[in-house]
Amino acid sequence: MSDLPAIRCVDVVKTYEEGRIRALNGMDLAVQTGEFVAVVGPSGCGKSTLLHLIAALDRPDSGEIEVAGHDLAHERRLDHYRARHVGMVFQLHNLLPTLNALENVQMPMFELGIGASERRERARHLLDLVGLRERERNRPTQLSGGERQRVAIGRALANEPTILLADEPTGSLDSDAGRSVLDLLEQIRAESKTTLVLVTHDPAIAARADRIVRMLDGRVNQQANPHTARRAVALASA
Amino acid sequence: MSFLSLASRNLFRQRMRTALTVVGIAVGISIVVALGAITGGTRQTVGGWLHLGGADFIAARRGSADFSFSTVTEKEWSEVAAMSGVRRATGILMRVTRHGSNPYFVLMGIRPAQLAQAPPELVSGRLLARGARDEVLLGSSAASSAGAQPGSYVTIDDKRFHVVGVYRSDDVIANNGAYAPLATVQALGRSPGLVTSVFVTVAPGVDPRAIAARVEETMPTLTTVSSVDDWGKVDQGIRIMDALNLAVTVLAFGLGAVAVMNTMIMAVFERTREFGILRAVGWRGSRIMRLVLFEAVLLCLVAAIIGTALGVLATRAVLLIEAVRGILEPAYSPGIFVRAVLIASAVGIVGALYPAYRAVHLSPMEALRHE
Repeated sequence: MSDLPAIRCVDVVKTYEEGRIRALNGMDLAVQTGEFVAVVGPSGCGKSTLLHLIAALDRPDSGEIEVAGHDLAHERRLDHYRARHVGMVFQLHNLLPTLNALENVQMPMFELGIGASERRERARHLLDLVGLRERERNRPTQLSGGERQRVAIGRALANEPTILLADEPTGSLDSDAGRSVLDLLEQIRAESKTTLVLVTHDPAIAARADRIVRMLDGRVNQQANPHTARRAVALASA
Repeated sequence: MSFLSLASRNLFRQRMRTALTVVGIAVGISIVVALGAITGGTRQTVGGWLHLGGADFIAARRGSADFSFSTVTEKEWSEVAAMSGVRRATGILMRVTRHGSNPYFVLMGIRPAQLAQAPPELVSGRLLARGARDEVLLGSSAASSAGAQPGSYVTIDDKRFHVVGVYRSDDVIANNGAYAPLATVQALGRSPGLVTSVFVTVAPGVDPRAIAARVEETMPTLTTVSSVDDWGKVDQGIRIMDALNLAVTVLAFGLGAVAVMNTMIMAVFERTREFGILRAVGWRGSRIMRLVLFEAVLLCLVAAIIGTALGVLATRAVLLIEAVRGILEPAYSPGIFVRAVLIASAVGIVGALYPAYRAVHLSPMEALRHE
């Protein structure tokens, strides 16, 4: 891991409905390159909002967010940043229904100036990686929940992102499929040394991270050592 | 997967809606194509008519609403013929009458001696004899319709004519008409001493424009026409057709754009979340805008192909009516098809501009939240 943080959030504030809802309220966070951070906390504490701001799907009201040298609060070409640095896995797969698995994985590559045949080959390789090479012609409706999420992970890796963001990626899956998806994310992160930030409600999933960030009321409430967390999970399930 | 296949696949999502939009635009394009072909054909006919018998220009009455209403006196005709530099000045009196099933049969009164100076292409028989009063030379289409041939008789305007020959002409009106002695046609039309226009051929080496200018200068009530663009000086028909053509084009364009806008707005609204996903995976707003515009243009190009085919079929169908066949020969120039494609593309772009703007004006997050 490098000493320079891959993600740095300083005093980030994000409000909705003209300030009535304060999703992030002075959020500070630093994530090192290659680190696997799990963000946990009760519903409405701002976990997803944090992820969306790091993914540059939205802008903060105030504060600083710096990712891979990009100041996201002031960056003009957020789409350029997203296309080159971010891989995003949503709770719901968010695949395009009219496209098959191979085509869905190719979508992020359109912005990278890659030719059609190379796009196809790279997408095949990624489907291989997520274990779905033989399902490349299947549309999302022809895939199980776990398979869809695997395709979404393949898509998230299509641009060889600097950071991989996963917003409750197992939230809509059964436990087996969820475990399999999580194993895949961990494997990818271990092989590619990609920084991984994962939002979850599940303490067992969070326990697999390098670090657990617990949020409350739009800011970091506590940062836990994973060993402690794992022990807590073991105790809870004993 | 290419951008093209992505766009075309999106169009197939709502097949019925896409099909109805294509049909709507195709109908508009077909009318534009049909009118374009008819106007083009008319211009071609007029062009052929202007240079009948190798004439460089015609002299006719200024301000005539319809060419057939023009009257040039034999005195004026003689003055034109007497001008230095004029090689030949042929006076022709047009009489539009019904013959058989053709209500626009054009009987052209001409002095037989002048017809002999610049004769049409004879298919059979001979030209009009000098001094003859009841001879007629039929165009090949007219002869075919009437079942006439040299030696037979036809009745035109209640007068019995002896068919002495059949000629062929590229001009649809001439081919469906006939030449008869000028004096006979003047008598039929009760217009002694008058011709409709004078067809002027200048001597070699003389500039026709100089002669035309002199005609207009010395006889201000006459005007000269040397090209189709000048035809409006003696006939409002083409001007009216051009105006009609423009009006239909504008209407087709406007209605087509509204249809495309309606279809694309619905498509964009239904796919708002998908556009959010594409933004989330890094697509630029401009690429999404291009996708929407591309889909619309693709839809309109399909409509252009269908509309063009329909337009051609429609004009061919109209030609099954004999009365129309006698005066009309649609011209399918490449320009008509290029215009159809350009109009369709413009309809697609204009109609999809607002939907495309709507597709990208939401932030990715707002779009992703859209249900």
